[in-house]
Amino acid sequence: MKKKLFNSLRGLLLLTALVSVLFPLVWVTLASFKTPSQLNDPSLLFFDPNFENWLYVIDRGILDAALRSATVATITVIISAIAGSTAAYVISTYKAGGNATRFGILAAQVLPPAVLVFPFLTLAYLTRVNDSLLPLIFAHLSFVLPVVTWFLIGFFDSVPRSLEEQARVDGFTRFKAFLLVVLPQVYPGLGAAVIFGFTLSWNDMFYGLILTPSRSAILPVSIAGFNTFRGVELGAMSAAILVAVVPVVIASFFIQRKLVQGISGGAVKF
Amino acid sequence: MLIPLLAVSVVAVGFPLVYALYLSLTDFKLIQKGTANFVGAENYIGSFADDGFWGAIGTTFTYVALAVIIETALGLLIALALQKQKWARDLTRAMLLAPMFITPIAVGLTFRFLLNDQLGIIPYLLDGVGLSYDFLGSGRALFTLVMIDVWQWTPFMVLLLLAGLESIPKQPLEAARVDGASGWYILRRITFPLLVPVLSVAILLRSLDALKVFEYVYATTRGGPGTQTETIQYFTYQTGIQFFRLGEASSMAFILLLLVLPLIVLLFRRLKRSPR
Repeated sequence: MKKKLFNSLRGLLLLTALVSVLFPLVWVTLASFKTPSQLNDPSLLFFDPNFENWLYVIDRGILDAALRSATVATITVIISAIAGSTAAYVISTYKAGGNATRFGILAAQVLPPAVLVFPFLTLAYLTRVNDSLLPLIFAHLSFVLPVVTWFLIGFFDSVPRSLEEQARVDGFTRFKAFLLVVLPQVYPGLGAAVIFGFTLSWNDMFYGLILTPSRSAILPVSIAGFNTFRGVELGAMSAAILVAVVPVVIASFFIQRKLVQGISGGAVKF
Repeated sequence: MLIPLLAVSVVAVGFPLVYALYLSLTDFKLIQKGTANFVGAENYIGSFADDGFWGAIGTTFTYVALAVIIETALGLLIALALQKQKWARDLTRAMLLAPMFITPIAVGLTFRFLLNDQLGIIPYLLDGVGLSYDFLGSGRALFTLVMIDVWQWTPFMVLLLLAGLESIPKQPLEAARVDGASGWYILRRITFPLLVPVLSVAILLRSLDALKVFEYVYATTRGGPGTQTETIQYFTYQTGIQFFRLGEASSMAFILLLLVLPLIVLLFRRLKRSPR
């Protein structure tokens, strides 16, 4: 009897949580298919979907902004994957760089962006690359690289040393042993780190707002641009929000399990 | 093989950090062409004497404390519930975790829309049961922002705590059950103590991240009403970007860094001590 009550309370809690999570997302999706006059009636649930908002945001360049975001995220993540995997390997295997390096990597991940953003802005002005994607890539590297490295340390930690030793005995150079024997062992972790790093870059607004405010605005900055609240733009804003949200939420489904091991640097395993 | 990391870090973190320190010691303004003058500690003295700055620090710490407490409590409850969930297990988890992957500005704008007093569904539903509540009004706006944070980041707590719960060894739990311990006793005396390492890491990570809150403020209140929701990141943004006072803004960023440094050190020691 007590157990039954407990179980139904548990179910109720999960149901409430699910509804709270999904409700705003469903609402925004509905709004993106509504006409301005339909938006005036919040209770309207069933209506003929209208694609005007979507055509409008495409017309206003939302896909270009998405492309810029994807470009920045891709370049950032490729550099991070190369520099991060080599570093994570030697840090994990040879304790390279000692505690100072590990601390630096952790600190850089949680550093408030307000510290670094003004130097990036000033330097961009001085070198005349302001309002372009270049300073933004550097800014995103400042937090994506440490996250990816930290992420991978945890995965390299769980690769047995004997694998590499065997490869060395078989005549592989240290780098070849890393590239052909050890690295393939962490491919799942590397994949998760790459997707997570991409998401971090794709989702950042603070650096984007300051470094690329107009001409080359990235996606989060450009969806904020629909925040005019003359009522008319609400549907368009909803469509723009979905352009930013849907790809990363789908990608996240594939990495959720790996995420814990990565975030905690291998300290917690699923 | 550490060289690529070190090279990129020097360019993307080291040099900007040193440059920020330099900026914080000058009267650099973005709109003035020409040289910046060295002013020593003047910016720091100015920031220390600035009530707005300390107000923003206070607001931010209140925000972080409230958000993290609620997220931890809710996260623990949901993680415990999910651990026992059998039906549609992976789908339930995946959906519940989704908010933490959404760009925060989208979350901020979504809630601004949902809470809008003419077009929003939440005031509309409340009106249906005869209630009216001004979500972004004086004395309430900060708590509304906290609840937006709770919506987006409780999943992060759930993710880490669920992993922590599932990595707890089964033997002590079974032994206690055989000895006839109650569910509540097991939770309080066995599960909870074993969860503490993960719990502390989760709380530290979440606090450090919540300190950076900016997008929700930018999307909903812009610091208002008055200065009630001016968080430190928003305040620094305004000083640096809207008022062009980069030197001052940089000094504020460094004071903030000094304040959060103990948390970073604590997190580092926690992560090192965790069992492998």
